[in-house]
Amino acid sequence: MQHGIRRIVLDVLKLRDPPLPELAMHLSSMPNIEGVNISLVEIDQNTESVKIAIEGNDINIKQIQELMKDHGAVIHSIDEVAVGKKIVTI
Amino acid sequence: MEIMREFLGKVRLYLQITHIGGIVRRYFVMNGFDGSMTALGVILGAWIVGVENPNIVVMTGLGACLALGVSGFFGAYITEKAERRRHLKNLEDAILTNLEDSLHKDATTFAPAFASLINGLSPVLMAITSLSPFLLAMAGLVPIWTSYTASLALTLATLFMLGVYLGRVAQENVLLYGIQMLTAGVVIAVIVFILGGA
Repeated sequence: MQHGIRRIVLDVLKLRDPPLPELAMHLSSMPNIEGVNISLVEIDQNTESVKIAIEGNDINIKQIQELMKDHGAVIHSIDEVAVGKKIVTI
Repeated sequence: MEIMREFLGKVRLYLQITHIGGIVRRYFVMNGFDGSMTALGVILGAWIVGVENPNIVVMTGLGACLALGVSGFFGAYITEKAERRRHLKNLEDAILTNLEDSLHKDATTFAPAFASLINGLSPVLMAITSLSPFLLAMAGLVPIWTSYTASLALTLATLFMLGVYLGRVAQENVLLYGIQMLTAGVVIAVIVFILGGA
């Protein structure tokens, strides 16, 4: 059975608005996503650098990229991806 | 119902992104105050010269306040649009990306429209409140002299309520704010009565 992407960690630069809870809620309401964790790395006058961890089943990266773009956020890098039956941590 | 909830959620998000709540509050009170004062001036002036036709009072007051409303609408729209465009460009510079297809662009379009609507409607709303006793007089339900008294009381009450609202915004003594606004109305009344030699 194919599981697709089950966990992904992104390094994101976002505008300060909408705030983190709003972005987290919108991400978690996407299909196939079971949980979201956003942690603040750095804060500037207009922007925030954040680490976003998303867990789910068969996560669609394209949809996440679209939502980020819509919310004025840019994915700098994909720092971690977990696929398969079991989530393997390093 | 679902569409309505979605729409309100979007509006809330746009308000959050643009931080326009405070600006709109200012617009509402400032232009609402202008509307009330203009209506008050018209009503007192008509009272002093003894206008007995309620149509004249209503049309003069409404005409003046509609002009205020239209001017408020366009003034706020152009000003806010320019400010929002500038802000969007600053955000694009900060994040080094184009925000053309983002919530921020939509919010930038929404904010001037919302602010101008509030700025345009508030004086008209206040004027209609002040002039409503004359509408009753037009329908022949009350004598015009009762309308003058009722209208004066309504306008002063509106000014007081605007002050109370500001007091609540400032989280300070609402009564004090109400009295401050009321004073402006009383000053106009005194000046008009003195000018009219009453």
